[in-house]
Amino acid sequence: MNRNYILLTVLMLVLAVGTLFLTTDDEPKQIAPEELLQQIIQPTRYVTTDQVAKMIIQGDPSLLMVDVRSADEYDEYALPGSVNIPLEELLNEGNMGYFGVPGVKVVFISNDDIRADQTWVLTKRLGVDGTYVMKGGLNCWMQTIIEPSQPDADAPSVDHALYAFRKGAQIYFTGAESATTDDGNVEVQVRRREKTNVAAGGC
Amino acid sequence: MHIHERNPWRTLIAVSVFVVILVIGFLTMPKPLFEYEKSMDESIEALLNGEDYFYPWELEDVIANKPDSIVLFDIRDNFVFGQGHIPGAENLSASTLADPDNLERLTALRDMGVSIVLYGENELQANGPWMFFRQVGFNNIKLLLGGYEYYKANEDDLYSTIDDDAYFSGFPRFNYAEMAAPKDGSELNADQDNKPVQVRRREKTSVAAGGC
Repeated sequence: MNRNYILLTVLMLVLAVGTLFLTTDDEPKQIAPEELLQQIIQPTRYVTTDQVAKMIIQGDPSLLMVDVRSADEYDEYALPGSVNIPLEELLNEGNMGYFGVPGVKVVFISNDDIRADQTWVLTKRLGVDGTYVMKGGLNCWMQTIIEPSQPDADAPSVDHALYAFRKGAQIYFTGAESATTDDGNVEVQVRRREKTNVAAGGC
Repeated sequence: MHIHERNPWRTLIAVSVFVVILVIGFLTMPKPLFEYEKSMDESIEALLNGEDYFYPWELEDVIANKPDSIVLFDIRDNFVFGQGHIPGAENLSASTLADPDNLERLTALRDMGVSIVLYGENELQANGPWMFFRQVGFNNIKLLLGGYEYYKANEDDLYSTIDDDAYFSGFPRFNYAEMAAPKDGSELNADQDNKPVQVRRREKTSVAAGGC
């Protein structure tokens, strides 16, 4: 056989072996670290308890609250309509399907905001957009929504307007003297992830 | 007869040029600034174990003795830093973390085995940068619990905060269920277990989903 063909064959084999080393990365798809750092140092991911309360009360269908506390804590008390994904189960089969749905805002909730922020960083590393952190977490929720404190009489009028909103939200969430607390906020339209492994349809 | 069989050197030259170009390509491939050195699973495990925190009471020693083995970095912006900071801390604003000079400094400190303590106004502010550096292989970076706010409130007697738990995050400070219980005495969460929470999930669109 011609020497040149042998040479070319050997070269192709070497390159083929080379490609094996290119695909050692078995991690799921993730964004470049530089990009992650850029996202991390921006404070745009925080939403206040008031904003979350408002979205729940208005029945905003684009809101998905993800409670990252343990299952026990979640069972004891959770915001209406929230789903439970503890941090240790974040990567479990199917859980990532909750994130990155176009038009859905995912708000992470924990006791304070640290664990929620950690979850935010981890999902951001996986390239998920549209996720937020409820600043202050449930501790802040209790202080602002469930038991809001009254501003001083000479406080700015925005403080009084905020207090009025919080008192209304308190009634909504604690169910005091209001019969309509249970409707509207849980019935979110179902659209589960569809398995389309088999080519569907066709006329 | 093929053309290169008439001149065997032609093939050899072409192959050599090809190989040289490949080698040059690999050698000059831009090296990324950072690379993940912790996988997702390792990162989650480290967070669950509560590793790599720096406690406020440990500051007492750092402020008094200024050991060479620990450096404090304040990630708040320069203006706020100027209004007050932990004695001995250096300013390293979050927005300048990826600057070449700062990275060089951080890498040098890591190679010397110096511990770096990051802090922001509160724990939340420094949490992101801290997590980031842990994931890209800076295992000497720690996070100051409580942040500057807690330090400021307790700066007169830092050592006594060893018995305090106010700077720990992740704990409920109230009995939520009791606080949020309906004022009319009915059970708020009674029907929550049975009520299916229905959510939209992302659809897989990788396969062409037929249709007309």
